[in-house]
Amino acid sequence: MAHVSPLLGAEGEVPPRITARVIPDSALVGDRVRYFVTVHHSEKEVAALEGFDRRDSLARYSFELIGRKHTSSFPLSGAGTEEFELEFAVFGRGHQPLPPFIVVFRDLQGRVTKRVPYTSSASLFIRALTDSSMRELRPLKPPLKPSIPSFLMMSVVAGVFVVAGMVLLLLFLLKRTVRNSAERVDSGQVAQRKLRKLGSSLSAGMPPHECYEELSNIMRSFLENHYRISALEAVTQEIERDLKKIGVAGFESIMNLLKQADLVKFADCHPDVEESRQSLNKASEVIRSTRLPKAEG
Amino acid sequence: MQHAVELEELGVQITEASRFLEMAQEQLSQRIIGQHEVIRRIFIAMLVNGHILLEGVPGLAKTLIIRTFASAMNLKFQRIQFTPDMLPADLIGTMIYNPKDMEFYPRKGPVFANVILADEINRSPAKVQSALLEAMQEHQVTIGSQTFPLQEPFMVLATQNPIEHEGTYILPEAQVDRFMMKILVDYPSYEEELEIMVQSATTASKLPVMPVVQPHDISRARALIDRIYVDPRVQRYIVDLVVATRKPGKYGMANLDAMIEYGASPRASIFLLLAAKAHAFLQQRAYITPEDVKAIAYDTLRHRIRPGYEAEADNIKPDDIIRQILQHVQVP
Repeated sequence: MAHVSPLLGAEGEVPPRITARVIPDSALVGDRVRYFVTVHHSEKEVAALEGFDRRDSLARYSFELIGRKHTSSFPLSGAGTEEFELEFAVFGRGHQPLPPFIVVFRDLQGRVTKRVPYTSSASLFIRALTDSSMRELRPLKPPLKPSIPSFLMMSVVAGVFVVAGMVLLLLFLLKRTVRNSAERVDSGQVAQRKLRKLGSSLSAGMPPHECYEELSNIMRSFLENHYRISALEAVTQEIERDLKKIGVAGFESIMNLLKQADLVKFADCHPDVEESRQSLNKASEVIRSTRLPKAEG
Repeated sequence: MQHAVELEELGVQITEASRFLEMAQEQLSQRIIGQHEVIRRIFIAMLVNGHILLEGVPGLAKTLIIRTFASAMNLKFQRIQFTPDMLPADLIGTMIYNPKDMEFYPRKGPVFANVILADEINRSPAKVQSALLEAMQEHQVTIGSQTFPLQEPFMVLATQNPIEHEGTYILPEAQVDRFMMKILVDYPSYEEELEIMVQSATTASKLPVMPVVQPHDISRARALIDRIYVDPRVQRYIVDLVVATRKPGKYGMANLDAMIEYGASPRASIFLLLAAKAHAFLQQRAYITPEDVKAIAYDTLRHRIRPGYEAEADNIKPDDIIRQILQHVQVP
């Protein structure tokens, strides 16, 4: 540590007093040191330091300024104290003189009243990074504790998760409800539209056996979407079993239609156009009747 | 609706020709309690010249079912117990030296019968297994230098213990493929077991089974089965099911790709169609529907699908794979 206190006199005024010290007084290359400068002066003036901002002058002294603080106080009437704390990174090797600076005094109007150059007689011993110094055990700094208490953090995180979960659940339910209602409305409408189109094709000369095949597909798609059963991949017996389980209105009519279609598809039966048209009407009627109770409900 | 005249006529003939099966079933139901599906499958195989592999733990009346079936159908029955020290000659027969004539004469083995129960086929070594399977395929046997045709109908019902049992030789896949169906014989239900216990726990001898079938009944039924109508849609459905066991990804079941080491052979398609026809015959129908195909799909495909390592690790059985295939392949 260096401690210097040159005294400067003036007429009828408290003479300014400057002290400087460095902590620690020895360091490894690349370490940080703190340089404390205290200036005592009269209450009618303020002090500032100059000379540290010039990189070329500091480089000559193997010092690099990396931080500074400044506090003022007036503990006694008629006197003031300015404290400067400068943080340096140090380089070089061996005894290094501390960098000089100039204390600039100003009156209360901001005019410079005097400039006092200051050179510390103390020096700093800088040690090189040798094998032995590299092996020194350096104490680890304890981990920084969060400024927010952990229980508060946990509850905040949990809260965020709960809110996110609720939002997702709400979105899922909303989507499902919208989809279900949309599909339920649509399955019947779609089937009716397809039946109308099929009727037009039949009038336009579509062979009746092809009509029955298409009719079977329409009915199966309708049953699959409307009753949520696997009808497209199921045989007629399986559909019969599933519909029985659900207790579907118009069960007999649905099964008759599917069995008729099976006869056309698999038993080489040849319906005429009139029979095909009747089956289409029957299918349309069945779909309408299955949708009515739901619409009323 | 105008029905095809030929099919209507065929339907009438089938109804008439399938009566003998009803009588045979009646005879069987007097002796066998439960196991209706197993009996139905045996009839199906018999009608289309197929062979059956039965798998199940001992004591489930497998032998009784087959013996009673043969008696009711008026067919010659032979039970062959396969053992590890068995030789092919014990099965097909051998040449015996006659010192009087100083010549060798063929002595026919137990395979010369209509219904063969090859009990615990996986207890015998590969040579014996292949001798039987060759007889199944060719319907003839060669002893010495002479070839003898086997009696018609010729049907083999082989039983095998689950392969994890000790002292068994696993049947090679190529030989398993020759069986039309593999039937898993399960335990009877509680009520069935109760009835079995009450009926069987007696010292009185059982009434003999009445033969109710004449040989021409079976040949006539077979001729009618050949005429059963198969729509091209159903044909394609059968092929779709079989191809789906090989390329499940093509049918939207990419998850099964890694589960199947290899799928069913083209023989599966043939047997699936034949069995579906016989199923339709039992339903007294002159045409096949996809219901017939689905009804026999498990029994026809399960021994032709080899689950891969991933399936075994997840304890996925062939039946699980078939179930998924049936649920995904669109029915015509």
